[in-house]
Amino acid sequence: MSEAKTPTINFKQKAMELLPEGASFDACLTCGLCSSGCPASGLENMDPRKFIRMAMLGMDEELSTTPWVWTCTQCKRCQHVCPMNIDISQLVFLARGNWPKDKKPSGIVRSCELTRSTDSTSAMGLQPDDFVFVVNDVLEEVRETQPQFKDMVAPIDKKGAHFFVNQNSREPMSEPDEMVPLWKIFHLVGADWTYSSKGWAAENFCMFSGDEAAWYEVIKTRVDATNELGCAVWLNTECGHSYYTMWNAINRFGMEANFKIESLVTYYAQWIREGKLPVNSDWNTKNIKFTVQDPCQIVRKAYGDSIADDLRFVTKKLVGEENFIDMQPNRSANYCCGGGGGFLQAGMTDQRRAYGKRKFDQIMATQADYVLTPCHNCHSQMEDIGHFYGGQYQVVHFWTLICLSLGILGENERTYLGPDLANLGL
Amino acid sequence: MTYEKREFIADLAVIGSGLAGMAASIFALKRGISTAQAGNTGALAYTTGYLDLLGDAGTGAAEHLGDPWAGIRELQKSQPNHPLARVPENDIHEAFTEFTSFISECGIAYGAPGKVNLKALTPAGTTKPTFSVPATMQPGVDALASQARCVIIDFKGLRGFSGRQVVANLKDRWPGLTTERVSFPDMPMGEIYPEVMARALEVPGTREKLADAIKSVRGDAQVIGLPAILGMHNPDLVMTELSRLLGCPVFEIPTMPPSVPGIRLREMFEQVFPKKGLTLVPQQKVRSVEFDTDSVQLVLADNHGPIIIHAKAVILATGRFLSGGLEAEQTGIVEPLVNLPVAQPTSRDSWYSMEYMGRDGHAIHQCGIRVDDAFRPLDKDGKVVDPRLFAAGVILAHQDWIRGRCGAGVAISSAYRAVQGAEQIILQKNN
Repeated sequence: MSEAKTPTINFKQKAMELLPEGASFDACLTCGLCSSGCPASGLENMDPRKFIRMAMLGMDEELSTTPWVWTCTQCKRCQHVCPMNIDISQLVFLARGNWPKDKKPSGIVRSCELTRSTDSTSAMGLQPDDFVFVVNDVLEEVRETQPQFKDMVAPIDKKGAHFFVNQNSREPMSEPDEMVPLWKIFHLVGADWTYSSKGWAAENFCMFSGDEAAWYEVIKTRVDATNELGCAVWLNTECGHSYYTMWNAINRFGMEANFKIESLVTYYAQWIREGKLPVNSDWNTKNIKFTVQDPCQIVRKAYGDSIADDLRFVTKKLVGEENFIDMQPNRSANYCCGGGGGFLQAGMTDQRRAYGKRKFDQIMATQADYVLTPCHNCHSQMEDIGHFYGGQYQVVHFWTLICLSLGILGENERTYLGPDLANLGL
Repeated sequence: MTYEKREFIADLAVIGSGLAGMAASIFALKRGISTAQAGNTGALAYTTGYLDLLGDAGTGAAEHLGDPWAGIRELQKSQPNHPLARVPENDIHEAFTEFTSFISECGIAYGAPGKVNLKALTPAGTTKPTFSVPATMQPGVDALASQARCVIIDFKGLRGFSGRQVVANLKDRWPGLTTERVSFPDMPMGEIYPEVMARALEVPGTREKLADAIKSVRGDAQVIGLPAILGMHNPDLVMTELSRLLGCPVFEIPTMPPSVPGIRLREMFEQVFPKKGLTLVPQQKVRSVEFDTDSVQLVLADNHGPIIIHAKAVILATGRFLSGGLEAEQTGIVEPLVNLPVAQPTSRDSWYSMEYMGRDGHAIHQCGIRVDDAFRPLDKDGKVVDPRLFAAGVILAHQDWIRGRCGAGVAISSAYRAVQGAEQIILQKNN
């Protein structure tokens, strides 16, 4: 074990520095809405209210060393339900950054290091050349085996393309066929898009490790890449935290970004409204039920309920209004699944699953057969807790269901469909 | 990176998302008024779920009011400036009926308001007078009245609700009352919260396990009381199902905040209003209000930049100190948003009386905004500040809603009148 000592933060003083004028942690009424609404309450004998009270009492050493900060996913639900709007996640971020590097969860630290190890900014360390190779290789195969898509493109480093599309590393690295449905959607709507060989990846565990300098560095690579290609929109694909880390960093560090940051979800909704994605629910003859997981990173922490409404609009079009069952609570009040904040990489499996029990209950209460979510971490966590607690549901990406509905989902693009849909339309 | 300013246009803007703001939005929706509502999280989550009209008319009577209407007539004589004294009785009745039928239709069934107050249970084992209760709490009112054999169930790890306390304080009046403690299914961690239990009970399997746990301790009880944990989104279904599994009526008693009935209402409003076409900007405080010739403009911002709401009329329902509708400064109490004059004691020294628990209360609990009979705020000379501005809820002066047990009464009745007034202004502007 490491000999490094964790420095002690003066949380009360830091809180005062962080807060806008007029706000104060002293305003805490100790009502407990934060703890009552937090899935991490009780883990490591800590909860958000206790954290604030201990900060106010000056119990800095305890707070500087509690492992609870790695079980809090910084989902900001505590702030959302707080009548005084107190933001506890900022203190958690501070506490995380304060841990000596060799004491932090090694999975998060390693993912951040890998992200910085190449120009790809991939948390799995995939080199730019390898990414380009995989994309071209998969594209070639699809063009050959699916004649309908013989003219489909997956441009790389195309200057002046409208969309700069980011890509979670999981697909090119371990399930490359999962990229195809997305390309098909772009092809169908005639989107002018490009990948970049530099800064293409989505993940950012540097923010989760509390390492501000590294977080900045990763985002700088991505911002520069987007600026260099002159794209109008940096398009976040189905990955929650890639959006939040980018958007938040640009504001936080005052970076020059000559583009808009937008979510693919918004465009799914827009393309469906415009008739460019003529999806329907005719395929759902068995009335299979679906629910939606709102990722904290793009809903509560970013766009708010407007994107949550888009998620529901798209889902209802895809599966039929009567086959959509909302989770409770939902939209901005939704619970984090427990896959956020680097929890999946933190090596704290028992705690993560205890956290995820709340999500599991929410899903089970809907009695839905499928959960749709535009976030990789939500996806992985909900699959894991489903297996662990004995749920029978499947978790799917939107791109899978969109292509399924359009009758263009290839044979190899069905990893996440259950047996009831695995062969539909083949 | 540039942000686009978002602008919303509505006929009515409601500022505040507590009970008064929500009530105003309901009345506006029922009248087909296009409405935008904005406000911080508010204190709605702190409500017990009981909707009080008036439980104490300030006459010094030891007993709580059985007949709230008689109390209101008393107020009309003794406290003519009290908001409840300024709303016609028919309007109060209509307001409560509209409010409770709306939330019942939206999935949280409430009893129709009647002629008398109900005697409802509190977690302290006392009773309080209230006007309308959720369907999940009515069997408790009935059980007390009929003196049924009843067991109150509490839970290991649940703070803020003690069956022993409830029984100890009620035993003299309710000999058939007992209590038992059980473990909540699948919740091994130390402290557990009503909110978490309520959500878990939305899952059929959890209800079955809980019913099994209760069956082993219920004895010969004819009715079973629980802390308020009977579901969050489907409370009536959860109650019905649990009753079916146990073969007898079950009911809820409100708990200490953070309490489920309040969270239920808040989450329901936040989901239902946008579906009904209302523009809701939740979790955001309005930064400023500008009264232009053509419109009233509300300025606020969220994560994605500035938001402007343009409206023809506006209802101020920002609450008192907790929600920031009023602020106490060294030199006095101010209304920070519109800078309205605040009726208040002449000096800080007279905010509080020396007797903390004194029957007369404290002067500061009567402070607030002065309005006319149409609930339009008045300036220091007693003139209407702006004909397009209305006020509702506990920001209003001349009422101590806690002592009077009239928080919901003031909120719902004044919101009703404010919407009536706003509707007139909007009709004029639209013609």
